[in-house]
Amino acid sequence: MFTRRDLFKLAGVGAAALLMAPGSVKESFGVKKISIDDALKQHLGVTLKDLKQSNLITVKAPTIAESGANVPVQVKANIPVEQVEAIYIFADNNFNPWVTKVELSPMNGEVFFATRIKLAKTSPVRAVIKMKDGSLLMAFKEVKVTVGGCG
Amino acid sequence: MARIGRAIVRVPRRISKGQVFKVQMVITHPMETGLRKDKKTGKLIPAHYLTRIEFLFNGKKVTTIHSGPGISKNPYFAIMMKATESGTLTIKYEDNKGGKWEKSLKVSIA
Repeated sequence: MFTRRDLFKLAGVGAAALLMAPGSVKESFGVKKISIDDALKQHLGVTLKDLKQSNLITVKAPTIAESGANVPVQVKANIPVEQVEAIYIFADNNFNPWVTKVELSPMNGEVFFATRIKLAKTSPVRAVIKMKDGSLLMAFKEVKVTVGGCG
Repeated sequence: MARIGRAIVRVPRRISKGQVFKVQMVITHPMETGLRKDKKTGKLIPAHYLTRIEFLFNGKKVTTIHSGPGISKNPYFAIMMKATESGTLTIKYEDNKGGKWEKSLKVSIA
C-alpha cells in the first residue's frame, strides 16, 4: 500500500512515471483490482490500444483534484446526438475502472453529460463514445489526486 | 442515514421551443463501494450504490445512466434535453439493495 507520503511524491514525479507501470495488479481488502484493459473488454469488447483518440470529444475535469472522493467530470462531444449510442466513463486506476455508461437518445439535443466521480489515485479519466455504427471514440484527461477517494 | 433517495432536480425557469436545456439533479445516497472499512469496527461496509437512473419525458426514454460505485457520494448528474413540447419529466432510479424511487416534475415550454 502507498502511504500518503508516497502518494505526494508520485504526484510530484508526474503522470509520465505513473503511466510507465500499467497493469500492476494490486490486492487490497481481498479484492482484485480490475485493469483498464479488462474493464474495456468487459464493457466494450476492445482493449486500450484499439481505441482511437478523437478531438471531437472534450473531457472537462480538474488537473489537480484535492479530494478523489468528488471529482467533477464533464463530457461533451461535437457529434450529432443521433449518431451516438452511449457515453462511457473510465478511470484507469480505480479498483473497477468502469464508472458509468450513459445511453443517449435524439431527445438529448446534444452530446453532453456531467457528473462527479471517485478516483482512487492519480489517473487518466477517459470518455469513450460508442456510435450507432459500432465505432468507438475516446478522449481522456489526466487528473492528479492528492487524497484518494476509494479507500 | 436518513432520506436516502431524496432528489433535487433543476431545470431552467424559462425554456423556449427548440432550445437545448440542461437538466441537473442531485440524489442523496451514500454510494458505498463495498471496499471501505468502518474505522471503529474494522469491518467492511457493504456496497450500496445506485445502479440505474432513467430520464423519461412524457413516457419516452431520454437518457439512461448505468452507474456504479465509481460515482461520488450524493451523486450529481447533468444531461441536456431538447425542448419540443411541454410535459412531465420523470426520473426513475434504483440501487443495488432494491431501493426504487421516482421523481416527476412539469416542464413547460413557452
